[in-house]
Amino acid sequence: MAATTRFVLTPYSAEFPSSNFPQLRTVNARPVLAFDAATKETCYWTVVAPQGLTGALHAKIQYIMASATSGDVDVNVAVEAVTDADATDLDAGTSFDTINALDNTTVPGTAGYIDVLDVTLTNADSVAAGDYMRISLDRDAADDTAAGDMYVLTIEITDGN
Amino acid sequence: MATLPLNDQQKIWRGLMRYWSKDQIGIGIIKSDLLAAVQAIDTFLDTNSTAINNAFPIEARTNLTTTQKAIIVAVVALVRWNPGFLSNILGSVD
Repeated sequence: MAATTRFVLTPYSAEFPSSNFPQLRTVNARPVLAFDAATKETCYWTVVAPQGLTGALHAKIQYIMASATSGDVDVNVAVEAVTDADATDLDAGTSFDTINALDNTTVPGTAGYIDVLDVTLTNADSVAAGDYMRISLDRDAADDTAAGDMYVLTIEITDGN
Repeated sequence: MATLPLNDQQKIWRGLMRYWSKDQIGIGIIKSDLLAAVQAIDTFLDTNSTAINNAFPIEARTNLTTTQKAIIVAVVALVRWNPGFLSNILGSVD
């Protein structure tokens, strides 16, 4: 099945926890989420799962490195899907599925050059059309090797690949 | 003085990565190699502290505090390689 774009997640639509979140900034007038190289930082996006959702979801993360020209990055994407009448107390907790990890992606050899990470969302919390859905993204800074910030430009969530 | 505690070495390491990221200055080595560089220079300064102190003329050696002498070492090193960065610390000096 050809991929269908379901969402485009941008820095300005991101939501942030109370601590350890990526800095929202602009680089050459482009909004980015700056994920630190030394601290694991996380942010979220909230959407409604669209009608007609069928295939395996993918998160295609467009990013540049602020300064690193060598090494690799590790990212984790998780999905929380809550259906009408689910027994999930949303004001007291979360119900994210197991993370979907993509590790050891070598960064571009020139800082500022774009690269796209394709994370297969195998663990998608059994999302169904109409669900309240959140997507989390973190950089696994404790395990990756690239020095300096990772600037996330956008994320495309596709149905199929 | 011994080498810095690991936590302080990591503060330098984190600070350098954030500084270079903010100014988008290329880093051609990976994180672990950058931390190793910080630790190696810390070890070098510790090992050679006596020689560095002896490099100061007697008046400065005996009358400046250790902190003042450390600043001189850092400032002279910076102005040789990155005077712009130094001006961020000291301001413009004519």
